[in-house]
Amino acid sequence: MTAESHALTTTAEHSAVAGLAHDSRGGISNPVLGMILFLASEVMFFAGLFAAYFNVRSLAPEWPPTQPQDFTHVLNIFPLVGPATVLLVLSSFTCQFAVWAIRRGDRTAFIRNIAVTVILGATFLVMQLTDYTLLFNEGLTLDSGTFGSTYYTLTGFHGAHVLAGVIMLSVVLYRGLAGQFSARHHDAVEATSLYWHFVDIVWIALFSTLYLLPGSHGGA
Amino acid sequence: MHPLRHPRNALIVGLLFVVIAAIYWVAPHLGDGFVDVAGTTLLGALGIAMGLMAYVLIAGSPRE
Repeated sequence: MTAESHALTTTAEHSAVAGLAHDSRGGISNPVLGMILFLASEVMFFAGLFAAYFNVRSLAPEWPPTQPQDFTHVLNIFPLVGPATVLLVLSSFTCQFAVWAIRRGDRTAFIRNIAVTVILGATFLVMQLTDYTLLFNEGLTLDSGTFGSTYYTLTGFHGAHVLAGVIMLSVVLYRGLAGQFSARHHDAVEATSLYWHFVDIVWIALFSTLYLLPGSHGGA
Repeated sequence: MHPLRHPRNALIVGLLFVVIAAIYWVAPHLGDGFVDVAGTTLLGALGIAMGLMAYVLIAGSPRE
């Protein structure tokens, strides 16, 4: 079936019944089911990283460490990390707008919002890479004690998840442009949006933990 | 649908583990014990994961 004929077919399937996470037989659709199970495992994956960070932090005499090198400036949210956070949060909104658009069969709004989400996600990655470059030049590396290793491990794994999300969203955008989604058939969109919201929530937790949690000096 | 199978109950399953995490964190403060922040973090996250798993079990089953 060509993309055009598929688009015509799916247009005829436009229905007021939104394609939510549940299919017509009452069960949850396979892509959404698989994504929720995957996200449950991802929660525990990031929990392990957070647990390691909290453990290291609670045992450190001061945080962020100032000896042998002062890394306090690493936790400045300007000019890169704060704006990048705003962009990522905004991308979650545009992603959800896309989901709502395809649920009501508005493909134009769907494609527009997914495209904006991809751009915002890619911009976040570029800003994070720029931040990494600046930090490397200032001497913060994976070898910079527990602070450096936990910082890069937490933000690095999250960045890898954002990259995966951008790739998934790009596939959704490509399929959307090919007319493969309709109000009734868009499970991949729902599953991808769940993943993207998860990545966003993890970043909010990460940002709050790394940048906003007050540091300690002269004792744990 | 049986009332117990409402997806809302997945929240209760998750909260159960979060309550256990809270007790695990508060208890050492009451005595002179060691506050295990890593364990507390993992228990709290386990609440989210278990809530998601419970949601899959409840909402993923056929309704008939």
